[in-house]
Amino acid sequence: LGVSILTALEFGAYALASLLYLGYFMGLREKAGRLALFVAVLLHLGDIGARCAHGTNPISSTPEAMAFIAFLLGAGYLLASLRYGLASAGAFAAPAALVLLVLARVVPAEEATPEMGTLGYTHILLATVGVAIFFIAAVLAVVYLFQDRQLRRKQFDRVTGRGTPLDTLDRLAGWCVSIGFPIFTVAIVTGAMWIARLGVLRTATALRPEYLLAFVTWAAFAVLIGARIGGGWRGRRAAWLTLGGFGGTVLVLLVYFLRHAA
Amino acid sequence: MAGKAPATIDVVVLGVSHRTAPVALREKLAVVQDQLDSTLKELALLPGVREVALLNTCNRVEIYAVTSDPDTALRAATSDLARRAGMLEAEIEPHLYTRMEREAVKHLFRVASSLDSLVVGEPQILGQVKTTFDTAARVGTSGSVLNQCAQGASRVARRVRSQTEIARNPVSISSVAVDLARNFYGDFHGKQVLVVGAGKMSDLAARALRSQGATLIITNRTRARADELAARVGGTVHEWNDLPGALAKADIVIASTGAQRPVLTLDLLAKVQKVRRHRQIFLIDIAMPRDVEPSKKYPDGVYVADIDNLQELAAHHLKGRQNEAMQAEAIVEDEVTRFMQSWSGKQIGPTVVAFRSHVLGVAHGEADKLLAGLSHLAEKDRKAILAFADGLAKKLLHLPQMALKKDAGEAMSMIDALRKLYDLQPAEPLSETEPAVDVDAPVAASKASGGGGSS
Repeated sequence: LGVSILTALEFGAYALASLLYLGYFMGLREKAGRLALFVAVLLHLGDIGARCAHGTNPISSTPEAMAFIAFLLGAGYLLASLRYGLASAGAFAAPAALVLLVLARVVPAEEATPEMGTLGYTHILLATVGVAIFFIAAVLAVVYLFQDRQLRRKQFDRVTGRGTPLDTLDRLAGWCVSIGFPIFTVAIVTGAMWIARLGVLRTATALRPEYLLAFVTWAAFAVLIGARIGGGWRGRRAAWLTLGGFGGTVLVLLVYFLRHAA
Repeated sequence: MAGKAPATIDVVVLGVSHRTAPVALREKLAVVQDQLDSTLKELALLPGVREVALLNTCNRVEIYAVTSDPDTALRAATSDLARRAGMLEAEIEPHLYTRMEREAVKHLFRVASSLDSLVVGEPQILGQVKTTFDTAARVGTSGSVLNQCAQGASRVARRVRSQTEIARNPVSISSVAVDLARNFYGDFHGKQVLVVGAGKMSDLAARALRSQGATLIITNRTRARADELAARVGGTVHEWNDLPGALAKADIVIASTGAQRPVLTLDLLAKVQKVRRHRQIFLIDIAMPRDVEPSKKYPDGVYVADIDNLQELAAHHLKGRQNEAMQAEAIVEDEVTRFMQSWSGKQIGPTVVAFRSHVLGVAHGEADKLLAGLSHLAEKDRKAILAFADGLAKKLLHLPQMALKKDAGEAMSMIDALRKLYDLQPAEPLSETEPAVDVDAPVAASKASGGGGSS
């Protein structure tokens, strides 16, 4: 499968952004990484536009949707970093977008499901956006845990002046989860309706593991939101729970890929 | 300009600083604010002094003067300083340093860039330097030379500030404490800072946090001292007996009690964190012995920094500044060279003009004298003689003029020689208000690719 020049440039730009953001911890300026990521996101937007022009819309299949998630992740992080000074999170956001994009582009696209319908498209669109938002929450949670560990170990010189305030990370992650959750909920409901309409549930092979996993993920985030609001959970515990919920999402994608690779 | 730039500028500096004199001497030499103007006026009257400014901070007292007779001026200034301090010259002389010409300019640039400061990179000095020269200008003791030096100094200081990270990280304990708190809170507005113990150490940090929007709660075993601190830094007092209640509200704690045993025990913190539902709390412990019970593992949400952590970070930042200072020194050196080149360039124009008018004046004078005795000559012949004198003078001027225009840096020594040989008194350069960079500007403007050398 050939990778177009545009895609190769995209990979390059995301990789460069990842390196520059990692370099931030070695004293590079944030601007460098931000600029590279901006270029990457622009290229990516152009790529998505080109694919649309060829009749492949960004939510027509799982790989396309994953590439779209990578785009939303990159663009979302970029916007958030302008407002909140999240330089340290860039070292996670940029590589995450890169890995996601490479996976999406290297795996061959499946033939479009015959009966997508409005319900199918709604489901994939909402699931894509939901996962992208959870992805950002997970990136913030990882950064939170990193910094938390260094601060608890009193390695102040590593974080001070470079990191993002813990309360900002915590608040933004909580915010992402509260926004992503309703979107993801509707995605699951529409997904279930879609499957029911297709009638595939009647055949035994159709009860795939990712359906269950998706539900587990949803449940984890539901618990997290409940704990944040009702139990006053925040900080480290909330970060771990966010990662747990997000781990479910990653598993869903992995199961999908394993099944398609087979 | 390979190596030597033999330019001279008639600036001298005489002074004492934290490097050469103890505070006891510095405070004697320091000039009180309301006597500054009169002191300047008196200094300006010293023999040999053309312009003068006085830099007067808690770490240094320095006289910047423009003089064509440095020895006399320096001697006069030294005895004046001694007289003012009520000391003998011999007592202060070992602590005095002097710099002349290029070195004096470099000294000023280093001082303004905070490279000569006690805490390298501290931000106040540039303002103090500016005030120094503003005052001199207001009183009328400074002129174009010192003004150009002052402009050069602020330019260098700004460049050092923007091109190095010399002032990026704080090095004082209180500002390091604030910096650490920023790891936890993006914004101090509406945050509650609990000050436990009314020690002097907590003053600065508490004030800094308050100025950034935090509210202060103060608690102390002795109520009166808590009231006193609250009045001083602006905060409310909380009952000492209800320490857990105060902790429950706090986001940041600054602890500096004189207690022998930890006041903030693990037990207490665990209980408080339960009430707080593990909301994060940052404890800054600057007491000795420590106020926070030492532990490897604090309850969830509790973060602690003790005095060692603060000092380590301050030392770490100071080391960083020293690395940046090397870069800054290079910038200063570069700027001094540019300044001196520009200075030389500005001297050429007026000197050349003075030289020309001197030579032409002599030629025309002699021709007039000659013609006075030759009244029988026809008008045509008189004109020929005048033209001859004029032409001869211009021919003689041509080569030296070309040589002077050729290389601005090299020209300075020739200009000096020229001034001395012909006793020239060139007018002040006109371009004193412009930022002064272009070496070629005053004379070589007519020449397309003039000298300038390597700039």
